[in-house]
Amino acid sequence: MRPAAASAVLGLALAVGAPTAWALTRPEPAAGIPVEQALPAPAAPAGAGDLPALPTVTARDAAPAAAVAAPAPARISVPAWGVDAPVDAVGIAADGQMELPDDVSRVGWYRFGPAPGADGSAVLAGHVDDREQGTGALYPLKDAAVGDEVTVTDAAGTATRWRVVSRQVITKQALPLDRLFARDGAPRLTLITCGGPFLPEFRSYRDNVVVVAEPVP
Amino acid sequence: MSTLRTLGSAAGAAAVVGGLVLVATPATAADTATVSVLHGIPNTPVDVYANGERLIDDFQPGTLTDALTLPAGAYDLAIFPADAPDGSGEPLLEADDVAVPAGANATVVAHLEEDGSPTLTPFVNDASPVAAGQARVTVRHTAAAPAVDVRAGGTPVVEGLTNPDEATLTVPASTITADVTLAGTDTVAIGPADLTLAEGTSTIVYAWGNGEAGYDLAVQTISGMHSMPAGVPGGSAGLADDTSSLPMVAALSVAGLAVAGAGVARVARNRG
Repeated sequence: MRPAAASAVLGLALAVGAPTAWALTRPEPAAGIPVEQALPAPAAPAGAGDLPALPTVTARDAAPAAAVAAPAPARISVPAWGVDAPVDAVGIAADGQMELPDDVSRVGWYRFGPAPGADGSAVLAGHVDDREQGTGALYPLKDAAVGDEVTVTDAAGTATRWRVVSRQVITKQALPLDRLFARDGAPRLTLITCGGPFLPEFRSYRDNVVVVAEPVP
Repeated sequence: MSTLRTLGSAAGAAAVVGGLVLVATPATAADTATVSVLHGIPNTPVDVYANGERLIDDFQPGTLTDALTLPAGAYDLAIFPADAPDGSGEPLLEADDVAVPAGANATVVAHLEEDGSPTLTPFVNDASPVAAGQARVTVRHTAAAPAVDVRAGGTPVVEGLTNPDEATLTVPASTITADVTLAGTDTVAIGPADLTLAEGTSTIVYAWGNGEAGYDLAVQTISGMHSMPAGVPGGSAGLADDTSSLPMVAALSVAGLAVAGAGVARVARNRG
């Protein structure tokens, strides 16, 4: 083949091949079952149909009593992702969003929701990156695979073990927040960070990466 | 609350017969109501009857029932001294046709009026959601005592509260040290006591008792009023953007097209 024809063929191959290869090597946006399916369904309100006319009554002392707080998670470890990060108890930021540790190498636990292992969805979340600090502890979340094992250890050293059942990239406006932050239903561990396209004008990502894990039996 | 207060004092004329109405909060459950009963009359164990049947046996002062889910409807309530033979004798207090509307959340309190006479007051509990991170706290004056101030950490947060009124605040979830003083003074009547105001819950604090038996606090907690965070932030650098290589891919593709175009042009020229 003459050089001119060869360059025409090679050029075409590059023109078609580059986007094709890019598309083929992109990570899958989701793995496992959908997030909403992995989280416990909200309980249906009880009807009055089968209520006895008068219920059995239990009474208790109403004197003020000290509340016993569940031990807070202190560390998250995921060997498959090379993650071993300290966990801070966090609440609500001034803008109403979940508060996250400023240090992207740390992970926040939503302290108003369940602790890992209690009923409902225990939420651990962290910044995926920061312009000065670089990538965050939960950066590998976007590549989580079904079956990956996660260990969360509390301050007393008690560990809960979890297995990933779902990973999904969800537009922030479409997050099922009531399910992600559910306080009842079977215990789940929900990990959240940012992902999807970066929107420089908002200095923010368009989507959240959500991973849901079930307790290891 | 003026309606409620009127109804409360109507019931307070002891042994009043007639229309107590619990004001319904916006309906949640279709045909049930949530009702708790608090006993705040010192030194007087009682039996509580509803519609002629014994609902609570040997109900002790300072105790609270767990929340009861009742079919909505009208209830005749009567309270007898606990040592009286069942269903006989004169009731200590009675209220007929207490309306319990669907979706209501209420606490019926047997307590003393300011002058020391026993009464039944139904309070409507605000079970509407609070913002994420917040807690609701309600204080209710059900003691045989004049006006009081309620302080948190030594600072008055509710002033001049009289029996059987209430005041409600929404505050960030926290643990506070609360006490009750005679209104406008630093004379502590009750407390201090540590109160955990848990996020997404309502903590209802009752001041009850009288001068002889002493004053005390009773605490009721209602949970499930929590709201969700508005979202989860999470990155500011764009390092995790898997579309960031797109411009480079496009450039490669265009370059490929250019090379191919040049090649085709040369092939055409060579032929021509």
